[in-house]
Amino acid sequence: MQLKMFVLSGAALILWLAPLTTLDKKVGWHKSMQGLSLGAAVACAVSAGNIARKLAEESEIDELKTRAIKADVVDEIGVSVYVSQQQRQQEAELILASPRLDVEENRKALEAIYSSDLQDTASASEHPDYPIYLEVCKSREAGKSPTWIVENVLKMGGRKFSEGKAKLQDLLNQFEGEDND
Amino acid sequence: MKAMYLVNYFVAGCIASSLLGWIASLHPMSFRAIAFLAAAAFILWGLCWLLDFSVSGWLKISVQNLQALLMAGLAVSIIGVGVFLCS
Repeated sequence: MQLKMFVLSGAALILWLAPLTTLDKKVGWHKSMQGLSLGAAVACAVSAGNIARKLAEESEIDELKTRAIKADVVDEIGVSVYVSQQQRQQEAELILASPRLDVEENRKALEAIYSSDLQDTASASEHPDYPIYLEVCKSREAGKSPTWIVENVLKMGGRKFSEGKAKLQDLLNQFEGEDND
Repeated sequence: MKAMYLVNYFVAGCIASSLLGWIASLHPMSFRAIAFLAAAAFILWGLCWLLDFSVSGWLKISVQNLQALLMAGLAVSIIGVGVFLCS
């Protein structure tokens, strides 16, 4: 498209200047050739102008698209940072709300959350069972029995009790194992 | 690319102006017709300068753009006719 535009521009200039400078105005057919070439030159220049305008509009649209994509990426990053901060705040509030933890344990837990690498934090805290695990911890620290935890925290009483007990054990193994690592 | 499209339209204007000069050179009657057309265009051009604020509002463009267009129009006619006469 660009090549076509440049060729048309060049042709327009040549068709405009060449016949006017080389041909004689007094000779009849020279004069008619000049008229024809001037007409063709106008057509070439207008077509080249139209192509250039189309290309300019397209490049403007591309630029707008790039700007929109950049803005979208920045917005996504901002939202993810905000969500991550909210999660951390909720975890900190849960830990601080547990009654029997002493100050030193609170401090250690918070320190573990904030000082851990972003990757590690994401892997543990983004797990769907992590809030349940925090509830389990809170209940254990409050002196509740495993049976109570299975029935009230995991909501798996009655026929599902044995399944719930296994899930509790899995939760403890999973997250306490990660903590020990 | 925007500059390229403006340049192309400018060149098209110059060539059109040369074409009018060529038509004027064909016959005394066509010369008179083109001279009348040129005089009318020149009067219109001067009026546009005098009434630039009203004309820009009517054409829905800024006054600066209108003035640029008028200057470009003058340059186009001078270059076009100049090239035709000097060749």
